[in-house]
Amino acid sequence: MAEQSLKVSRLHASVGENEILKGIDLEVSQGSVHALMGPNGSGKSTLAFSLAGHPSYRVTSGSVTLDGEELLELSPDKRAKLGLFLSFQYPAAIPGVSVANFIRTARQSLHPGDLPPAKFRKLIFEQLDELDMDPAFLGRYVNDGFSGGEKKRLEMLQLAMLAPKYAILDETDSGLDVDALKAVGNSVNALRASEDGKSIGFLIITHYPRILQYITADHVHIMMDGRIVKSGGPELANVIEREGYDKIREEVAGGVA
Amino acid sequence: MASLSSSLVRGVSKASLDALLEQRGPGPFSASARYDALARYEELPVRGTRGGRGWKHDLTKLDLSTIVPFAPGSVADDLSNEANAAARGRGVRIERIGASVPGLLGAAVDTRDDKFASLALAFANGGTYVEIPAGLQLDEAIEINYRAENAAAFPYTLIVIGEGARATVVERISGDQFVCGITEIVCAARAQLQYVAEQRLAPTARCIMTRRALLGADSHLEAALAELGSELSVSRFRSVADEHGAHSSLTALFFCNGDQHVDLESEVVHADGNTKSETIVRSAGIGRGQGRYLGNIRIVAHAHGSDASLRDDALLLSEGAHIDSIPALEIAANDVKAYHGATVGAISEDELFYAQSRGIPRNDAERMIALGFFEPAVARFPGEALREGIRTTLAAKLDAPA
Repeated sequence: MAEQSLKVSRLHASVGENEILKGIDLEVSQGSVHALMGPNGSGKSTLAFSLAGHPSYRVTSGSVTLDGEELLELSPDKRAKLGLFLSFQYPAAIPGVSVANFIRTARQSLHPGDLPPAKFRKLIFEQLDELDMDPAFLGRYVNDGFSGGEKKRLEMLQLAMLAPKYAILDETDSGLDVDALKAVGNSVNALRASEDGKSIGFLIITHYPRILQYITADHVHIMMDGRIVKSGGPELANVIEREGYDKIREEVAGGVA
Repeated sequence: MASLSSSLVRGVSKASLDALLEQRGPGPFSASARYDALARYEELPVRGTRGGRGWKHDLTKLDLSTIVPFAPGSVADDLSNEANAAARGRGVRIERIGASVPGLLGAAVDTRDDKFASLALAFANGGTYVEIPAGLQLDEAIEINYRAENAAAFPYTLIVIGEGARATVVERISGDQFVCGITEIVCAARAQLQYVAEQRLAPTARCIMTRRALLGADSHLEAALAELGSELSVSRFRSVADEHGAHSSLTALFFCNGDQHVDLESEVVHADGNTKSETIVRSAGIGRGQGRYLGNIRIVAHAHGSDASLRDDALLLSEGAHIDSIPALEIAANDVKAYHGATVGAISEDELFYAQSRGIPRNDAERMIALGFFEPAVARFPGEALREGIRTTLAAKLDAPA
């Protein structure tokens, strides 16, 4: 029976000569929300990029499966077609390509022919409304001249429009004001509450616990120096909020010694 | 006329000029003006261009000995379309260059300093005079089509727009023969002119065009050049913001595929105070395409308060493509704003990865990004039909790079 999860097993990955991920084990089952927290430099974004297949990140051992299918040999677009979505911390600008054109092309690649133009238009306008985004966005060039908040809203628009099975949100809350943060939270929650979105598995990567005030995590993991050092329920996020990472760092160091 | 001459006149020598004058008369230029121009063509050096590494074309070795400089009939410039008829109805003069306009030719915009402009004048074999009366506001574009078939085309276009008038002129060059021409533009005070030059010659043709504009006080020229065809396209554009408040905008794009070579130079001269200019050039190379763009902004000593910008971006889409980008500034005044920036490079890996992460396969992502690259320049051409035509041609070059 095929597993219904995004499963990371003993994953090691390097950037250039440096090993960043030193054996990551993580399983995000469909419909669940996992938060991955950790100090800067712990390897959180490396994990996100390694899962998505960025060419600069070299997986040296381990495996990643999505609903039982091995991802690591696949190009980034094939991984997306299997159902993986990555919301970028720093989304690239693509001048000259409109938001509407980009999302339509992506949707067509991921789910060929499933939405006739009228339905697509209806859906995207609904989502724009949910995200409190001006329809004028559709004519703007992707991320070109966008503020931080606008870029994150566009990531959420794509999340809502591309119907993935597993979504990795990489530091979606970094640099956002409260309104933008609420918009991201509302967007994810609305998706999870919807018929189509309730089975999406989320991996929310974050440095600060703030986003978890808006999105309830089922599981929280702490990452340090390329390893997951502690896992627990949502209350673990509160520990970080109160005490920062130092206490856990001591705990872990004590354990290793 | 039972038979054509069995030996067509060929090349651009004095002998061929003698033959042209004998068979067709001097037309809008006197015989002596033509002979002087031919002498200048032979004496003047090629300005500026030095062959770059591995360039296929060296302008100093341009061989025109096989071209047919004229044939019975004229350059097939059809001026009788509907848009032009409507414009004529409103008082615009659109006519073949003829004896009625000798006073203006070259008087306002002198091209005698240029080797190839001199060649164009010597063998001028067809051209158009457009005069837009002062105050006229014209919405429909005036169209000028030059088609080089059976013989080379040496078109001479003169566009004069009167005070406070507003109009659009689209000049198209097509066919499969050699083209060497001149376009002069004179904008009176407060005139607003949109000028488009679209070159779509066959891949075996060569084209050398010299275009110059003179802008009066508070006038505004929006020029857009699309060099889409030919094997070799040499394009020279200079606008002079001659009086206070004049505004020059130039957008140019080219995409060299196969073995195409485009050599584009633009210059904006700020010759008076409070003048403004923008120059935006976007180019790409694929296959073995080669390009060269030299862009100059010249601000003279008393042109205080000038505001000039020059932006040149080039995209390399294959190992064999090569584009040289040379922005330059000559500033002799204080209290001016001058900006120039240039990029040359391949498609960014970050953009590619972003698109791929959304399920878009690499080839499709490259295509989308490359076409998107041109879009900011395409958007500055007037008229959706014109823009769509350019987009279609750019996409075709991507799909058939060789």
